[in-house]
Amino acid sequence: MHVAMLRRLTKGGRVVRKLLGGLFVALVVWFAATPSANADGEEITGFVRNEVTKDGKAVREPVPNVKIAISSLDGGSVGVATTDETGKFSQPVPGPGDYVAEIDQTSLPKDVALRQAGQAKLTVNIRPGESQILNYFLGKDTRATKGRWGILPQTLANGVKSSMIIAVCAVGLSLIYGTTGLSNFAHGELVTLGAIVAWNMNQQVGLHVLLAAPIGIAAAAIAGLANERLLWRPLRHKGTSLTSMMIISIGLGIGVRYVYLYFFGGRAKAFRQYAVQKAHDFGPFSLTSRDLVTIGLCLVLLVGFAMYLLRTRMGKAIRAVSDNPDLASATGIDADHVILLVWGLGGALAGLGGILLGLDQQVRWDSGFSLLLLMFAAITLGGLGNPFGALAGAFVIGMFVELWTWIFPSVVELKTLGALATLILVLLVRPQGLLGRKERTG
Amino acid sequence: MNWSLIIANALYAAVGVNAIGYALIASGINVHFGYTGLLNFGQAGFAAIGAYAVAIPVSRYDWPFFAAVPLIFVGGILFALLLGIPTLRLRADYLAIVTIAAAEIVRISLNSVRFTWLTGGNDGLQKFTADVESLNPLSPHKYKFWAQTFSEYDLFIIICGWILAAIACYLVYLLVRSPWGRVLKSIREDEDAARSLGKNVFAYKMQSLVLGGVIGALGGTVIAVGNRVAQPNNFGTALTFFAYTILILGGVAKVKGPIVGAIIFWFFISVVDNILAEATRHNELPKWLVSGNNFGQVKFILAGFGLALLVVFRPQGIFGDRRQQAFDVR
Repeated sequence: MHVAMLRRLTKGGRVVRKLLGGLFVALVVWFAATPSANADGEEITGFVRNEVTKDGKAVREPVPNVKIAISSLDGGSVGVATTDETGKFSQPVPGPGDYVAEIDQTSLPKDVALRQAGQAKLTVNIRPGESQILNYFLGKDTRATKGRWGILPQTLANGVKSSMIIAVCAVGLSLIYGTTGLSNFAHGELVTLGAIVAWNMNQQVGLHVLLAAPIGIAAAAIAGLANERLLWRPLRHKGTSLTSMMIISIGLGIGVRYVYLYFFGGRAKAFRQYAVQKAHDFGPFSLTSRDLVTIGLCLVLLVGFAMYLLRTRMGKAIRAVSDNPDLASATGIDADHVILLVWGLGGALAGLGGILLGLDQQVRWDSGFSLLLLMFAAITLGGLGNPFGALAGAFVIGMFVELWTWIFPSVVELKTLGALATLILVLLVRPQGLLGRKERTG
Repeated sequence: MNWSLIIANALYAAVGVNAIGYALIASGINVHFGYTGLLNFGQAGFAAIGAYAVAIPVSRYDWPFFAAVPLIFVGGILFALLLGIPTLRLRADYLAIVTIAAAEIVRISLNSVRFTWLTGGNDGLQKFTADVESLNPLSPHKYKFWAQTFSEYDLFIIICGWILAAIACYLVYLLVRSPWGRVLKSIREDEDAARSLGKNVFAYKMQSLVLGGVIGALGGTVIAVGNRVAQPNNFGTALTFFAYTILILGGVAKVKGPIVGAIIFWFFISVVDNILAEATRHNELPKWLVSGNNFGQVKFILAGFGLALLVVFRPQGIFGDRRQQAFDVR
């Protein structure tokens, strides 16, 4: 792959510039994947270099005093390494495993930024007795220096993207709750399944993402159908209480999640295509083509789904079962059939959401689980069981989560804390949701 | 495969410090879920507070250990009030989601780089057990039982821990047989009926949350003191659901349930872990299946599916009474 690329590089001109980006990414991946010979203890080490043009030639200068924070996967700090005069940094880590290396962008010299924004936060896998090399390349900061208010549009744009992904994942959760009353704590695992199957088809089998994605979506849909057919329908007919079903879904979720960890590993993994893209500039904010496609696709699907619920016979049946299952059955609607359909559609949408999430932030074994509480927040805010509410709720939650990072910048784990706090606030202030009806509780 | 070592390790795990801690944590859940019908999914938060309530003052501010012990109770009560005042009026599934989020907030905050000066971040805190060690009347040598050796500290903690667990369970036993306990059960069975009889349901739920929360906090303290370290990731959501597995295994709404459940659970987990470790060491398993460092996940897989299967097929647990279970709360 490298040889072919280099050969094509000689063709010169614009192609070179285009391919350089690709080669660079390949290099980063290669560097990140190549263990060094230094075997006297596990560490993360590397250089930070700035590419400047001197006398018409590109020169790489070392950048001292850049801080790189190394933490474990769950956010606990391992240490902060600082680059020396030669631009080198190293940070010993306590043992083999997965670590997150995050470069402190405020410690970079003025007017300089990472050539690849995606490098700001990398996941590194350390094998026993081996160390990993991370090389960072800087270039001229092409981002105009923006003030606090200047970055607000970008924050909102990111919020739109996150809320669309949350909405697509959560529609199924909401409909399942609406039709069966089950708070499905294993819904995040359907999201992850779509992403993992698509990733395997993409990276292991070699299919293009656009071909791998439908397979991932189909897998999640089949898993949803199997869920209903093999587990939840028999339990419902047996008269199992909702509390029991909720605990069963928790157990199932934990089990499946660790099966993913067992086979997929703890490391975040990227898709082969569309992993790194240049952002289009829209003035106050910029989005990559991937982001635009994500937002557009989600919007089309959600509107289409809403139309389906409103206009078609089957959609009406779903809403009827959601409203009152007994009454719906009495009018001749096959409730079990409707619920099966809901699981299939919900699974497919969750799988798609997982793939979009994976394209946005790489695929992890707990991608879906990390989104689960946000999904609950979204559908609760929107009014449990109301699919339009889920869309509105997801929009508010997605925006809110991004705004937390705008209000309190530079605290990494605050995003999660903000999301959880938002969830609690929602449940306390408006437990019936934005569009839900007030109901007598406790 | 060294079976006597595997069995010895499993027996040790069955009575060890984790089993004690989880028995207490599950006892707390038993008060919440088993007797009152409260679906508290944030018990890990209580346990974390119990652990850090002693670890922070002793390790960071050089308090004597026993001066910090009251903080376990204060911390448990405060967290219960903070959690309960807004949420106890919510529906069961909302309560579950809010408590899970609150416990995650506790864990992430303890783990945060921002508070490393206080909590030690991901590494947690150590060196807060000196006072406990100095109390130990056992002479310092290795105590050997069959294939397993205990240090004098381990043995001391195990003895004290089980005494504490027995006291806690006896207290729960007395309380749930009292008129107060009967009100709790009536709330579990039918909240509206209890209310119509003039009972202040909210107050009773709050008292139940405080009692179970403090017992859970003590469980967290036992785990931290016994392992000589308080680490945030010992108190993730998995802890809460392991405790639920233990509770259901031993029997919901049975005073002895959590103890029996914890012993069985940890015995089983240890057997599985040790067999896989031995098998990997001797390359007895196919390479595609086990790569040497992922067999540690198997216990989570089994515990998760085990919880689901238990609730499906035997919700009353091994010794439980089917009529006495709280699964039909709204």
